[in-house]
Amino acid sequence: MGQGVRTALPMIIAEELCCDWRRVQVVEADLDPQYGNQLTGGSLSVRTSYETLRKAGASAREMLLSAAAIEWNVRHSECHAENGSVLHPKTSRSIAYTQLLSAAASLQPPADPPLKKQADFQIVGKSTLRTDTLQKINGAAQFGLDVRVAEMLIASVERSPVYGGTPRSFNADEVKSAPRVRAVFELKPVHLTHQFGETSGPGSRNYTCAGVAIVADSTWSALEARKLLKVEWNETPSSAESTASLREKMLQLTSQPCPVIRNDGDFEKAHSAASKKIEATYELPFLAHATMEPMNCTAHVRDGECELWVPTQVPAAAADSVAQALGIPRDRIKVHITFIGGGFGRRLIQDCAVEAALISREAGAPVQVVWTREDDIRHDFYRPAAYHAFRAGLDDRGNLLSWRHRGSSPSIETFYSGTGLSPQAAAQVDSLDFPALFVPHFRLEFAISESGMPLGYWRSVDASGNQFAISSFFDEAAHAAGRDPVEFLLATFGPPRKISVRNESIDVGRRRAVIELAAEKSNWHQPLPAGRGRGIAAASGWGSSVAQVAEVTCDAKKGTLRIDRIVCAIDCGTAVNPLGVQAQMEGAINFGLAQTLKSAITVNRGRIDQSNFHDYQVLRMSDAPGQIDVHIVPSTDPPGGCGEPGVPPVAPAVANAIFAATGKRIRHLPIRSADLHSG
Amino acid sequence: MATSFTLNGKPQTVDVSPDMPLLWVLRDTLNMTGTKFGCGMALCGACTVHVNGEVARSCITAISSVAGKKVTTIEGLSADGSHPVQQAWMEEDVPQCGYCQSGQIMSAVALLSKKPKPTDADIDDAMSGNICRCGTYQRIRKAIHRAAGMQSKA
Repeated sequence: MGQGVRTALPMIIAEELCCDWRRVQVVEADLDPQYGNQLTGGSLSVRTSYETLRKAGASAREMLLSAAAIEWNVRHSECHAENGSVLHPKTSRSIAYTQLLSAAASLQPPADPPLKKQADFQIVGKSTLRTDTLQKINGAAQFGLDVRVAEMLIASVERSPVYGGTPRSFNADEVKSAPRVRAVFELKPVHLTHQFGETSGPGSRNYTCAGVAIVADSTWSALEARKLLKVEWNETPSSAESTASLREKMLQLTSQPCPVIRNDGDFEKAHSAASKKIEATYELPFLAHATMEPMNCTAHVRDGECELWVPTQVPAAAADSVAQALGIPRDRIKVHITFIGGGFGRRLIQDCAVEAALISREAGAPVQVVWTREDDIRHDFYRPAAYHAFRAGLDDRGNLLSWRHRGSSPSIETFYSGTGLSPQAAAQVDSLDFPALFVPHFRLEFAISESGMPLGYWRSVDASGNQFAISSFFDEAAHAAGRDPVEFLLATFGPPRKISVRNESIDVGRRRAVIELAAEKSNWHQPLPAGRGRGIAAASGWGSSVAQVAEVTCDAKKGTLRIDRIVCAIDCGTAVNPLGVQAQMEGAINFGLAQTLKSAITVNRGRIDQSNFHDYQVLRMSDAPGQIDVHIVPSTDPPGGCGEPGVPPVAPAVANAIFAATGKRIRHLPIRSADLHSG
Repeated sequence: MATSFTLNGKPQTVDVSPDMPLLWVLRDTLNMTGTKFGCGMALCGACTVHVNGEVARSCITAISSVAGKKVTTIEGLSADGSHPVQQAWMEEDVPQCGYCQSGQIMSAVALLSKKPKPTDADIDDAMSGNICRCGTYQRIRKAIHRAAGMQSKA
């Protein structure tokens, strides 16, 4: 889906296999249990595959070495693998892998093949161009919407404007008589299975949308026919919900004690004795994923079997969901995975696969379900809106003494797994998020606010909104103490050391190192002229640590903002493909800037207000910073994730930079011109 | 109704409703899926093609309006990815998911045909109609400058 795994994962294998990288070709596998877990998401792909793929490459290498040794009747240890050939230096002989394949394939794979020393790496750790660029620049790459199956029909679905609603009546006959329309019928909602391992319980709300499906010969015919469709919808209790009503709920919940997620020391006692106290509230809206390729899936149900062509992040979940929806055995489902035109967590959800399968069965033909952009914006599984209330106290030396964070938002966990979860399991805050463990009297509370909205995992999930709130308020504490934000951040972390927490170890030295690197590379201490400012934010997660410094220019008279530069430092352990890590950071920063500057989903009578890119705005070329500098901390530690960690720090870095430039504190996203106006 | 036009240098005739958008003629009637659907309202640029050398958003371009004209799609830029803009895209490792890139490249080619040495402001003006959710904007800028350099050497 653009995250670079079609390059990074083969690099890992090629390294241990000792083959010629220039000759590597990458072929997408279908869903197949012999490949194990084929999910991509959670910034997991490289870090969970690294050891397995090294072993696979090394096993194959050892088998090729053994085959050559047998062929030459020499010791295995005298043979050496290099660039797609086996060499026997003693006798100056060499033989290409291609000559050894059937001999090697007949040998037993070794249980525990020796792995290369990192110092000997020739491929991993070198910046490498992607393997799939040519087909993405010449129009050949096949995305989900590009799938063409013989006799394929196209379906367009009008879905309930309020999540959970159902059609009461619709003008089926009139629409059916439109040119090239084959069928018009109701789609009933279907409960979706897990995305990746959640257990579903009572109160789970993740369903496909109810609606009316129109099946036609071509996309245009289906879309034109849909203009004729008139549906009367049954209302649901969710019709009472609005952005304002949810905000009111969250505000109420956070104005009183909430279920405790973490409690260190004695906040009330310490805070009452603090030399200086600050408090603030922060707000985030719902967000849509808005992948460039609208949602779609192609399905062919026949003879008790189903074949799917789907741009999905979890092919196994597609098969599970469709098997359940059709009531057929899992092994009768075949899944082909296409290129994905953007995932960001949206393609974890299998609503499209289920819709396509049900419509194909009803139509008795292969069907591609095409979502319009309006469908995509209005029927997303959104990043939840949230409300955060903070209090902090400083001691007489300007150090953080007390910190209380009360958060409230709808819960993604209860949406998928049901209402039987404990408040701690359902919480959308992380008990290990800094400054937990670094402030002696620390209290984290969270209350779920009920919502009828469908919810999903948006690139960096809870951290996407939480870090804006936490790192901005932390910056408020720094300024309240009269201290430089970088100095305050490093002082709060304290000296390099390891802290044991449950089964994790926090390496404070690594957290400090990215902050120091970002500060150094951004010339943090060099003064900027009036109207310009720098802000810093740091966050850890997915096995990596990131720090970003934003440099902005603000015109308080005009209420305009320009992001001049983002400096990003990342510690992701071993960077398999540094060029790919850089791309992930650039992409994550631009993605995070969209939520910082442009995007919001609002709700009115249970309905989404936005519908396309004119009212759901995203980052464009003219908004994008002129410069993003990425610095990767050199490391031989195991790889950490890179897909998501670059997103959370950018909104607070920008907000903190705006404060440095103007003295104006941003407490909600997206930033509006009015927030920047002086007076 | 039959509409005739030139497509990537070859004569083409299609028999479809005159108000059918060029995008769907390309993708469904002619099975040329390099041009992408993103929004249907000329807001995202994924559907960008050239009509008589000018940028057109094919999702809102009725097929009747290209009668007798020259249409160029991503497939028509080169037989083998060798167009200077495509080469620059490869050298700068631009695409991530790749879905928006056909439209980005078509817009960039049109820009360079009008402004062989575009400034960053020219790039903003010409390219802000093309959305990229993966965030490849900085590399697109670099690639456009690179292609400008390549074209001036040719």
